Amino acid sequence: MANKSVWNDNRFWRRSATWVTGFASILLIWLTFDTSAQISMGTNEDLQNGVTKRVPGPTVINYKITYEMSAKRGHEVPVIGGNDGKGNSLFQEKEKFFGRDDWSEKEAREMLHLGKLGSQAKNCMDCHTLLGNGAYYAPDLTKAWLDPAWGPNGTMQAITNKPTKEEAMAEFLQHPELYATHARMMPNLGITKEEAIGLVAFLKHMSSIDTNGFPRNFGKMKGAINGK
Amino acid sequence: MFEQFTDVVPSFFGWLNQGPLTLTIFLHTVIILPMIFIYFQEKKRLENEK
Amino acid sequence: MANNHLTSESKQLATWYLTFAAILFGAQLLFGLIAAIQYVMPGFLYGILDFSIARILHINALVVWMVFAMFGSVYWLLPDETGIETIGIKAGKLVYWIFVAAIVVVVLVFLLIQVGPASDTTIWFITEGREYIEAPRWADFGIVVVALTFVGNLFLTGMKGKQTGIVTVLMADMIAFAGLYLAGMFFTDNISVDQYWWWWVIHLWVEATWEVFVGAIAAYGLITMIGAHRKVVEMWLWIEVAMLFGSGILGMGHHYFWIGTPEYWWEIGALFSALEPLPLVAMFVHVLYDWGKTQGAEMNSEHTDEGHVKSVIKNKPAFTWFVLNAFGNFLGAGVWGFFHTLPQINLYTHGTQFTSAHGHLAFFGAYATILVGMMYLAVQGKNGIKVMKNTKASIWAVSMITGGVMGMTVALTIAGYVQVIVSRAQMGATWAAYFDGQGGAWFTQAMDWRLIMGVITFLGFVLLAKDLLTTGKNPVHER
Repeated sequence: MANKSVWNDNRFWRRSATWVTGFASILLIWLTFDTSAQISMGTNEDLQNGVTKRVPGPTVINYKITYEMSAKRGHEVPVIGGNDGKGNSLFQEKEKFFGRDDWSEKEAREMLHLGKLGSQAKNCMDCHTLLGNGAYYAPDLTKAWLDPAWGPNGTMQAITNKPTKEEAMAEFLQHPELYATHARMMPNLGITKEEAIGLVAFLKHMSSIDTNGFPRNFGKMKGAINGK
Repeated sequence: MFEQFTDVVPSFFGWLNQGPLTLTIFLHTVIILPMIFIYFQEKKRLENEK
Repeated sequence: MANNHLTSESKQLATWYLTFAAILFGAQLLFGLIAAIQYVMPGFLYGILDFSIARILHINALVVWMVFAMFGSVYWLLPDETGIETIGIKAGKLVYWIFVAAIVVVVLVFLLIQVGPASDTTIWFITEGREYIEAPRWADFGIVVVALTFVGNLFLTGMKGKQTGIVTVLMADMIAFAGLYLAGMFFTDNISVDQYWWWWVIHLWVEATWEVFVGAIAAYGLITMIGAHRKVVEMWLWIEVAMLFGSGILGMGHHYFWIGTPEYWWEIGALFSALEPLPLVAMFVHVLYDWGKTQGAEMNSEHTDEGHVKSVIKNKPAFTWFVLNAFGNFLGAGVWGFFHTLPQINLYTHGTQFTSAHGHLAFFGAYATILVGMMYLAVQGKNGIKVMKNTKASIWAVSMITGGVMGMTVALTIAGYVQVIVSRAQMGATWAAYFDGQGGAWFTQAMDWRLIMGVITFLGFVLLAKDLLTTGKNPVHER
């Protein structure tokens, strides 16, 4: 019978399917262990000892964070506490966050926890994207902390009448309808002052996560509006 | 021959990533190759059935 | 109900699941329309039913109607495949009502309460705030109970009755499908870890277990609708399982490019997910091949004169949707997915309307089509129809829905293109860059077209509902 080829034999394909599925699953589990170790959150000690983590500890909010080109990695990386000139973090330069740059690990962790909870309780992800995932109705928040619009030369500090980036952000989050810059306004989600501080800590922490160069050229384009 | 390791943390999979597609081709190969073994086993079985 | 031709309890239960699925399908389209209007008129329902809430309901109704229709499809085919009545049908009926009640409560909470304070209580009782699986934690546990009961019924029936290849694949697939949901049921402060496991649910559902489910349903459909040869169909099914899981499981890497995970995922994600369209091509070829083969055999049989050659298809509308599935799966999941699966491209398309375009066509092409096809099969069985014909409404429905979704996809792709070029590549992804892209003429016009196409899709759905509901009284079908 012509049907006696292995290629149209159900048993061969069933065994192959079982093998491929099983082995791919095992590889995925192995990769998951490897990745989990790499993306576990760092500690305050890591920051003090100059250990670069993909996801730094919550006390990273005490440091100055920038997003700069790394010669070694070939793309932009978060630089924490100053740049050694090659895109590596120095973990030295501090930056005040709501007036302090000595938040303890416990305090910082609590703020981050509240912020992360808040990001879910307010359904942030159903308008914005976080690490590029979510909805596309509002801007990506991955590096929102580093957005020039909130910086000293940006408009948001002036609109909210606050002297610092973090205070401007917290004020905006509590009353987004008062400081709308576009027809597509963020609604008032009943965010309290404490929650707003937590959310800003969450955003600052998120900007310190090494996202392999996403988004590219963040905030680097100046004077190129409308292709001019 | 070997490329400089670029990722933050060295790891086995990162080490296999030695330039264009080395890691993914390696993984594809280890998934597909045993199918050859299954093929010959099944071929033998079909011949015996005859 | 009068004129019910179903003798199987399992099929009876299947019609319940499929009916509720159709209702949720309508709800999904309605909330999608609201969200689409908000892109065009941002003030629409502002502060009452904001975009985030409309979108939550849009995508959660989508997931839940598909899960309902999937459960219904399995209950429908189980007696045919195993040759016995489904075991544990009482438990199946009980969890059906639990599931429906839970969904009504969750929807009401989403609509009326919407958001909560940043506390665990909110996560447990209002929203979990994670795209696609926003349902609060209590509902998660409910879903686990419902899914376990369903999987239990499937396993008990599959092990006692005849265990065909289709049933074997479904058993393995559904236990993975139910188990994976657990990966989305925890809270962590670490957003990278959060999204890592979140993708285990989302990706391994829609790009692995659901696809294999579709393969199994397509196999069942070919056997029942055109009398395709079981041995051939099941061989194809095993090939598809090997290819779908072989590419889909590690293809998950394409979600791990930018969420804080190591660089090696670039390579893993790129090539494995690049191969994901292959099994979809295989499915398409297989469906058309089997159709051509059985039709050809019919034409070569005793009726050589043209007038006597009959179509081998026993359910025209269902078969239309099944063929559309083969094509839509390949186009929506395959081609539109491949567009942006390589990291070099995804760096700029990640988090833009490109993803949205892919999502619309993929969910429709890969899942909505085949599940609507199953609804037609159920309507046929319920009304004791031997050969089900196309009606005007069925043809208009399928054309309008397909045309509408295709139109939305093209519009969103164009919108995504603007975003990629203006907001990302040119201006560097900031807040200002984002809004500059959103204000562009191409973008706003694309959003107008998306809304128009959305309305067409919805009208098509109305016709579909009418056709399904009036089939029982329609005299054109052969009984």
